[in-house]
Amino acid sequence: MSVSQPAPGTGQRHRLEVARVSKTFGSARVLRDIGLSIGPGELHGLVGQNGCGKSTLVKILTGIYTPDPGGAITVDGGALSLPVRPLEARAAGLSVVHQNLGLVDDRTVWENVRLGRFRATGLIRRIDGKAERAAVESVFDRLGARVDINQKVGELSAEDRAAVAIARAMQDHEPGGGLIIFDESTRAMGKSARNRFFGLVRSVIDGGASVLMISHQLEEVIEVTDRVTVLRDGQVVETGIPTKDTSEAGLTRLMLGRHLVTHDRVDSHAQEELAATVRHLVVRSVRGFDLDVRKGEIIGLTGLVGSGATAVAEAVGGAREARAGTLTVNARSISLKPRRDSTEVFIRAGVAFVAERRLDQGLAAELSVTQNLTLPRVRSRGSRLRTGGGWQAAETAAMIKKLDIKPPDPGKLVGQLSGGNQQKVLLGKWLAGHPSLLVLHEPTQAVDVGARHDIIDAIREAAADGCGVIISSVDASDLAVLCDRVLVFRHGQVVAELAGELTEDDIIHATFESPGQSGDQPDPAAADAELNWKGVPR
Amino acid sequence: MDTARHKAPGAAVPDPGPADSGSTTAPDGAAARHRRGYLAGNQLAPRYAILAVWGAMILVYCLTEPSLFPHTGTFQTIFGSQQPLVFMTMALMCTIVVGEFVDLSVPAVFGFGATILPVLVVNHGWGLWPASIVAVLGCVLVGAVNGFLVVKMGVNTIVVTLGMSTLLEGIALWMSDLNTISGLPSGFQKIALLDVGGLPISFYYGIVLVLAFGYLLAFTPLGRHMRFVGASREVSRLSGVRVDRIRFGSFVFAGLLSGIGAFIAVADLGGYNASSSDSYLLPVFAAVFLSTAIFEPGRFNPLGTLVGIYFLETGILGLQLLGLQSWVSQVFYGGILVVAVTISTLLHRRAT
Repeated sequence: MSVSQPAPGTGQRHRLEVARVSKTFGSARVLRDIGLSIGPGELHGLVGQNGCGKSTLVKILTGIYTPDPGGAITVDGGALSLPVRPLEARAAGLSVVHQNLGLVDDRTVWENVRLGRFRATGLIRRIDGKAERAAVESVFDRLGARVDINQKVGELSAEDRAAVAIARAMQDHEPGGGLIIFDESTRAMGKSARNRFFGLVRSVIDGGASVLMISHQLEEVIEVTDRVTVLRDGQVVETGIPTKDTSEAGLTRLMLGRHLVTHDRVDSHAQEELAATVRHLVVRSVRGFDLDVRKGEIIGLTGLVGSGATAVAEAVGGAREARAGTLTVNARSISLKPRRDSTEVFIRAGVAFVAERRLDQGLAAELSVTQNLTLPRVRSRGSRLRTGGGWQAAETAAMIKKLDIKPPDPGKLVGQLSGGNQQKVLLGKWLAGHPSLLVLHEPTQAVDVGARHDIIDAIREAAADGCGVIISSVDASDLAVLCDRVLVFRHGQVVAELAGELTEDDIIHATFESPGQSGDQPDPAAADAELNWKGVPR
Repeated sequence: MDTARHKAPGAAVPDPGPADSGSTTAPDGAAARHRRGYLAGNQLAPRYAILAVWGAMILVYCLTEPSLFPHTGTFQTIFGSQQPLVFMTMALMCTIVVGEFVDLSVPAVFGFGATILPVLVVNHGWGLWPASIVAVLGCVLVGAVNGFLVVKMGVNTIVVTLGMSTLLEGIALWMSDLNTISGLPSGFQKIALLDVGGLPISFYYGIVLVLAFGYLLAFTPLGRHMRFVGASREVSRLSGVRVDRIRFGSFVFAGLLSGIGAFIAVADLGGYNASSSDSYLLPVFAAVFLSTAIFEPGRFNPLGTLVGIYFLETGILGLQLLGLQSWVSQVFYGGILVVAVTISTLLHRRAT
C-alpha cells in the first residue's frame, strides 16, 4: 500500500492521454483545456473540490457527455472517437467503477459481472450459465480474489462487493493492458474493506493495467497513488505530480488555491443558560437518556452503528418517533413521542434538524435554492394568501453570502448544484430560521474541504449567537474541532463523556475501546479510518 | 444506469440554462420572479414551443380550409365547449401536484355528480339547489374516500382510483337507468351559457379557476407546500409540512372541483348521459401532461394545462372539419399523451 511503483510512463506510450478537452453547458464552461496522461501500470489520482469538474471529465471519458470540439482522448496511442462510444471504449480497455459500484443487489455475482456481456446460445437464445460462470471464475482468478459467484451481491461484504465491481471492470482487459477509472469508489467502505480494495487494485496494476482514481480522501490518494492531477474550477492546476513529493496540505492548497485555515479549536461559546433539555428519552436501544444543552454549547454524539447516538439525534430533531421522552426548548415542552406530521411542532419551538441524506431528507432537487431554503418558514412568515417575496430574497441572499454558496443564484435548481453546495443550502435552510436548538446529522459528509470549512464556520457562528448545537457524527475530526463535549454511545448507553481539549484520538479510543468489544477493533489506527469513513450507509 | 448524477454541474440535457453565476449577486424576489429570470436564451424554446405549434396549426387549417376554419363560430366552438375538461384537469392537477401520480377516477367522479343532479331533479322532483348541493357533496365525499384509502390506508393510488372509477360509473348508469336524463328547468342554463363577449360565461369560470389555481401554486404557502410534497414527502415532513393532511386535502379538493365542474356541465347541457364520462379520461390526462411542456418545462402547471386543452381541441376540430371522422380524436389525444409524457420526462430529467 505504499508507493512502490517505478517511475511510470517513462519512455513508453501513454495508456490514456487526454488533451485539450473542454466542456461547455450553455454559457457555463465547466471544463477548460483538460490535459493529463497516465502511463501503463500507473495508479493516477485525480482530486479537486466538489464542482471542480471531476465528474464531468469522467462523464466525457465514458461517453455520457459530448466534449466541445477540439479535444482528443487516446488510449495506447489510438484516438477514440468523440463523443466516446462506450463499446469502443470498452474494446480499448477503458472501464469505470462508479461511486455506488453499480451492482444489482438481488442478482448473483456472476450475473453482475457479466451484465451487458451475456452471450446467448442456441436456437432459443438462452444465456449459457455454465460458460458465463466459467468466464467469471477466470476473472476472479486473475484478480486473485475469492468470491462465491453464485451468491447474491446484496449478501456480500463491502470488500467482496468491491471485488465484484473490479472484476467486472477488468474482465475485458488484454493481459498487460486496460485502464480502470474509479469514481469515488471507496466512499462507502470501511477501513478493512478499503485495505482489501487497494490490495485488489494493486493486483490489477501488477497485471499491467492502469488506474485513474478519483477521490475526496486526500489521505488515501497520498497513500496509494503514484502521481496526482489536481483540478480546480474546471482547469488542471497541476498534473502528474509524483505523490511522494507532495502532502495532504500541499494538495489542499492546490485544490483550493488558497491556504486552508486549519481548524483550530476555538473557545467555547457556551453560556450558563440552558438552550434545551432532554428527559427520559427512550428510542431504539436507548433507555432513559437525559441531556442539558446550554446556549452556545456544541455537543457531539458518536458511537458505532446501532449505538443509539444517531437515534437520539433524530428523535431530538423530530425526525424519528421515540417511545417516550420530553424535550424542552424555550420553555416549551414537546413530547418526543410525536404523532405523524408533527415536525412542525419542533420547528415552531425552535428546533432545527439538518438531516444526513440531503437529497432524500433535506432538499427537493427539482425546486430552486430559494424555495428550498425558505420552506420551513413560508407558512409562518408568509400570509395565507401570499408567500411574500421580500423576506425570501433577503434570507436567501444572506445565506448565500454567509455560506458562500456557488453559483450565487437563488433561482438555480438544487439538483444542479454540487454536493458541497447542496449541503450548504441544507444548512442555510435551517440556520435562516435562527433556531434555539440545532441538531445536525453528519453535517460534513461527502463534502470537499472548502465546503467543510464553510460549514464548520457557520455552525460555530450559530453557537456564538447562542444556539445550542447537537452534532451526531462518526467523523471524529469534525467532533474534535467543533464540540465542547462529546458523548460516546454504546449499546444505547453513554459510555464516555469527553470534554475540554478534545482530540480525534481520544474520541476514537472512547468509541472503540470497551470491555464488550475486545479484539473486535483493537487497532486505533484502523478505528481512525472507520470513524472517518464518510458515507455511512444506513 | 445510475451515474453520479447529482454531482454533475449540468444535467443530461445539454442545456441547463444560462448560468448567470457571476452577475446575480442581488437575488430577485419570489419564486415566480426568478423563474421568470430564466426566460433568456435557449430556455425560451421549450417553454413556448407548444404555442408556436398551436399557431402553426391554426395557420395550416386556415390555409387548407379557408371556407370552414377561419370563422368566429370555429373559435366559439373551441373556447366555448371545453369547460368540463378545464374543471376535470384542475381536479387531476390537485393530486398530481402533490405526487399522486394518476388519479384515474376524476372523470367518473365528475360523471357521478353530473348524474345525481338531473336524476334528483327530473326523476325525483327535488329542487335545483338542494340537488346541486347533494351532487357536489357526493363528489367531495368520493374524494374523501379516495384520500382516506390512499393516504391513511396506504393503498396504491392506481388501484383505488381505477376501482372507484368503475364503481362510480356503474352506480351512475344504475341511477340514470342507462338513459340520458334531461328536462331541467330552462332558466338553469343561464348559469353556464349566459353570453359574455361572444363566449358562454362558463368559459370565464374556467379561466378564473385556472388563474386561481396557478396563483395558489406559485404564490401561497399552501401551494409551495404542495409542490414540496410532490417533490419529496420526506423532505417536506422534516421541514414541518403536514404531508398527510395536504395529500388528503388534495383528494377532497379534487372531488370538489369535479363536482362543481359537473354542476356547470349539467347546466350547460341541460342534462347528462352517464355513459359519456369515459370519453373524458384521455383528454384530461393528455392536457395535464401536456402542461409539463408549456410555460414551466418539466412541471405540471395549471396555465399550461389550459393552453393544452385548447390546443388539443383546435387540433381535433380542424381535423374534423377536414372531413375526418370521430376516430381522429382518439388518435390525436392518445398520440399527444404519449408525446407529451415523453417530452415531460426528458425535461424533468434536467432538474435531477
